[in-house]
Amino acid sequence: MRSTRLALICIALVLLAWPPQWYPDTVRIALTQWFGAAPWRSLPGPLAANAETPEDYCPGGEAGWRDEQEIEGVTVQAVAGCVADNPWLVAAAVRGTNNVSHRVLMRSGLTADAVEKGADLDGDGDPDVIHIRLEVAELNGSSAESRDPVTSYALAPGITPGLWVFAPKLAGMATENFESNQARSALRLPSPALRVEQGDRVIITLENTHYMPHTLHLHGADHGFTTATGAGNDGVPLTSEVPVMPGMARSYELTPRHAGTMFYHCHVQPHVHVMMGLQGLFVIEENRPNNWVQTINVGAGQVRAPAVAVRESYQQEYDLHYLDLDQQLSERIQHSNDPRVITRSMHREYDITDASMDYFTLNGRSFPYTFRESLVVAAPGDRIKLRVVNGGAKGIALHTHGHKFVVVAEDGSAVPEAARSARDVVWLATSQRAELDLILENDGVHAYGPGIWPFHDHQYQGVTNDGIGPGGNISAIVYEEYMGESGWPRTQGVSWDNYFTVAYYRKQLPVWQSYAPGLFGDPGPDWILLLRLSVLMLALGGLLGTLLSWLRSGR
Amino acid sequence: MAKIRTLALLWLLALAPTCALAQHAGHHNMQLDTAGMVMNANHDRLPRGCDAISRDYDFDIAAGQEFAAAVPGTSFGLSMHEVRVEPCARVTVNFSNRDEVRHQWMVHGLPKYLYPTGMFHLEANAGASVSGTFIVPGDDRTYLIHCDMAQHMEKGMKGQLVVGKGSGNLWSVPGVSRSFYRDSYLPRGSWLPLSAVFLMGIIVATLWVRRGR
Ligand SMILES: [Cu+2]
Ligand SMILES: [Cu+2]
Repeated sequence: MRSTRLALICIALVLLAWPPQWYPDTVRIALTQWFGAAPWRSLPGPLAANAETPEDYCPGGEAGWRDEQEIEGVTVQAVAGCVADNPWLVAAAVRGTNNVSHRVLMRSGLTADAVEKGADLDGDGDPDVIHIRLEVAELNGSSAESRDPVTSYALAPGITPGLWVFAPKLAGMATENFESNQARSALRLPSPALRVEQGDRVIITLENTHYMPHTLHLHGADHGFTTATGAGNDGVPLTSEVPVMPGMARSYELTPRHAGTMFYHCHVQPHVHVMMGLQGLFVIEENRPNNWVQTINVGAGQVRAPAVAVRESYQQEYDLHYLDLDQQLSERIQHSNDPRVITRSMHREYDITDASMDYFTLNGRSFPYTFRESLVVAAPGDRIKLRVVNGGAKGIALHTHGHKFVVVAEDGSAVPEAARSARDVVWLATSQRAELDLILENDGVHAYGPGIWPFHDHQYQGVTNDGIGPGGNISAIVYEEYMGESGWPRTQGVSWDNYFTVAYYRKQLPVWQSYAPGLFGDPGPDWILLLRLSVLMLALGGLLGTLLSWLRSGR
Repeated sequence: MAKIRTLALLWLLALAPTCALAQHAGHHNMQLDTAGMVMNANHDRLPRGCDAISRDYDFDIAAGQEFAAAVPGTSFGLSMHEVRVEPCARVTVNFSNRDEVRHQWMVHGLPKYLYPTGMFHLEANAGASVSGTFIVPGDDRTYLIHCDMAQHMEKGMKGQLVVGKGSGNLWSVPGVSRSFYRDSYLPRGSWLPLSAVFLMGIIVATLWVRRGR
């Protein structure tokens, strides 16, 4: 009898607690005819706004690095943006690490043999025998003692995918100092843009400091299949040579006959190694007298000591390296510390035919960090040379606001004058290069006047960080009058506070929180419904328990 | 013409085995030449608590990928992963690099009043040897030795300097201590025998209990 009473109470509670919005629609309509609509109850209000303090937009780098300066006869151009390359490294890359003073070499961080410049073969006042040494570095790798990525390098707030890069040969430690886990400034994505002069006798020695085999392939740059001694020179394990094993080194040779914007990359398991970041721009400048070129451009970006032929026609030159990354590939170096396990995971368990790309970088960073170091800053009337490569797996529809580019060369070959036109979308297939003229002439075609004009991949995944926008490879052409003193552009839109938090790119913050928190912020929880459902569950449980006890007692 | 000759001379100089770079750079107490670099060498300044040099040691330590062969799961290594010395000893390390890339031998955590940033640092270029001397403090402690090139410590170039009785082993020193995080090397399909054994346990226990009744 007691149990019957309990069952009846439970049934009554279930009926009472059952949310009316769950009744069948026909029942609800019938009820409406008798009682009218249910009384007003407010929806939950907005959640409190994010409390994470945004990073400093423009933390700045070493004092004095942004200034224009003269170092041992090398004029190093100013950088208007927030973060600049080490000017001493620029000077050493122009003069050659064997030709600069000890003081400049020490401040450059390079080893004495990083970029050796020798004989002037054609007697025109610049060195023509160039020996570049590259190492291979892993960023955001694993460790047997820590779960944090080691030699860490962030593309954007909180985004640290595993990366492999060719690196200039730097003396000393890989990190800023022993207390820090941050990669030093010259150790970064992308691999450095390399620059030589047409006709130079170039040797590039790959010193494989990494734990996997690699090679160097000079994509599009005029090189023989073998070196003078008959060794493989194409970097292809299938057809040319056995890869350079860990701890070993090999020299590649070329004497490029034509100027143009080329490419270099590893050719071992390219669908993995090239996609991990082992790729860089290889620029061959036109031969001119007294033409000392900036052989290394760390992180690509602004060329602070442009070659003679570039200075003849342009005020500035920028190397723009686009690269997309697959998190499901790059995280594999972080899951194990055993090179054998990593090798299996990357080359057999990873399947690029099932892949989709997650991060989209310009010169090794994704928005908002692109605004720290990849802005094109100029004045009305300037002519600017952009050398662009798409090293990513997907194509890039490079679009600029406020201007139209003129494509003057593709894949290192000039586009005939008559075939050139002004374009606001330039398609770059995988590994394709383009040389673009940016002419800041306010004629309604080439430019529409001063402003902060974004340029970005118009394929929409490219403007996100793993699907969260704004992100990816967004940068901007900023006219000087819109630049702040510190190197941050004076934007006039929304606050960027959200974009400088880790939480935003972890998908934890409403996209328009900064300017419309009440309207589009996340709704708070419905506690009343939760209470109602708790009663419902309690009653249902009670009912089930009663039924079970009846079954057991055989009633 | 004079310019060409100068440049040709510079080129020759760069290729010559010794170049004019060897000198002292004040703030880091750094010695740099074509063989490599010695940082914070100390032959005679005694650490606090040491009245005299207790003993002189001379170690030949080689580095390279060849030493990884004996240690599964590494790519680089040292001929000697543990160095044991007495407190207040003067230690000379002759560091030779058997590879065609750079390597380093660095000790960390030394007193900063003697060693800027607490570090003694040898860097040997490809195939080269460098020697450096430092004096260890008087207390029992274990110091980290490593190569700070990206991933070299993680992939085998880690060691420890044990002064006196030391202060306990560091993690993941090849041949000395195991890794703090270790991959799983279980054979494929291990769940099958493991489940079988688990079932066996249940059966055995059940039978045992029945027999006891
Ligand atoms: Cu490779
Ligand atoms: Cu090493």
